Amino acid sequence: MPEVVIKNLPFMLQGLLTSLQISAMVAVGGTLVGLIVAIVLYSRVPLLSLIARIYVEFIRGTPLLVVLFIAFFGLPALFGYQTTAYKATIVAFILFIGAYLAEDIRGGLLTVKPTLTQAALATGLTRGQALRFVVVPLAVRRIIPTLFNQYVRLFKFTSVASVIGVSEFTGNAMLVNAREFQPVTILAFVALTYLVICLILSGVGRWLHARLTVS
Amino acid sequence: MNYILQFGPIWDNRALIIDGFITTILLSAVALVLAILIGIAVGTAATAQGKTFRAVSVTYVESMRNIPLLIHMYFWYNGLSFLKIPAFWCGVFGLSLYSGAYVAEIVRSGIGSVPRGQRQAALASGLTNLQTMVFVVYPQAMRAIIPSLASVFSQLIKDSSLASVIAVADLTYQASAIEGQTFRTFEVYITVCVLYLVLVTLITQALAILSGSRGDGFPRRAADA
Repeated sequence: MPEVVIKNLPFMLQGLLTSLQISAMVAVGGTLVGLIVAIVLYSRVPLLSLIARIYVEFIRGTPLLVVLFIAFFGLPALFGYQTTAYKATIVAFILFIGAYLAEDIRGGLLTVKPTLTQAALATGLTRGQALRFVVVPLAVRRIIPTLFNQYVRLFKFTSVASVIGVSEFTGNAMLVNAREFQPVTILAFVALTYLVICLILSGVGRWLHARLTVS
Repeated sequence: MNYILQFGPIWDNRALIIDGFITTILLSAVALVLAILIGIAVGTAATAQGKTFRAVSVTYVESMRNIPLLIHMYFWYNGLSFLKIPAFWCGVFGLSLYSGAYVAEIVRSGIGSVPRGQRQAALASGLTNLQTMVFVVYPQAMRAIIPSLASVFSQLIKDSSLASVIAVADLTYQASAIEGQTFRTFEVYITVCVLYLVLVTLITQALAILSGSRGDGFPRRAADA
């Protein structure tokens, strides 16, 4: 490894840790939001599903950076509360990825044959139980690769958080660059690190898919 | 809640917003054209006979799309700063190399969806390799890939907002500028949100009509008629 990278490794790795932390929290939060919104859309709850549809369409038509700005600058101004860049990032990313995950999960729910739900209901399960024990587990297993694609995307776009001053991997690396001014070396190191982690993440997705899918 | 929504200051700055909107459209359009060219080249290489072509194609796709777009932009803007490429073109190069990888994946699957016999028949009838691709394979692949292309296009438009970070005066950049002058934070970003939404929806709908998935536009396949 080049000297400039070794010298500043602890600082950059600290940033990487923050990136991973943000990704993990947003992956969990976003999947929960996505699951709830997907179930609302899937079971056509009146009014709620309209709101869910507006949310999904709105987010999917908006750039991440603008969602981040709204969460960091806009909403605190509107409702008069204080926030930190870190908190705003987590809120914005959960809202953002949640909309994409909702569409993916809804797509998964639709692949489960209605006869399965009918069979579940016939055996005496309630609608909620049928969803929880039959439809959702089947659907989620089928869409694991898609989910992991979203997680990879999520990890990549944590780099955007540096724009509002969160000291994550990209932000820290650019700070190092401002001091050392060796942009090619530092960016190559950063790019390679992202590449390796993303490849590992999608590898895990494929492995899980192969392990868990029941045809 | 003592914040009163005022869209007046935003309207007063409409010239900046329009300016940014045009830059966003230009940036996306130029990047789109380049991304399609890259995508066709790399996607076709993925279906080539030679192992080298396939390896190069896979390496390109996997490395480009697994690196954050922001890093792509920084590479052209900061990494190659000694070349003094204008910020707009740094944005274009970053966007098109990144999105090109996604287009390549789509083109590859589109070519894969064309039955083998089509290609063999074209070659047997005496067309050259290039003629076979241009006159037989691409037109058929095209129809299969328009829906996925539409989602990559809308993604590209949204991604173009990251160019504001490297000082391209696009819609997001102008929004930040107006916010700095007027402090109407929420109003300006929500306006910009809606503009992106309109742009993305227009593109998606236009492509949906073009691909015939709405039941109008040109018929899906001549053979169906």
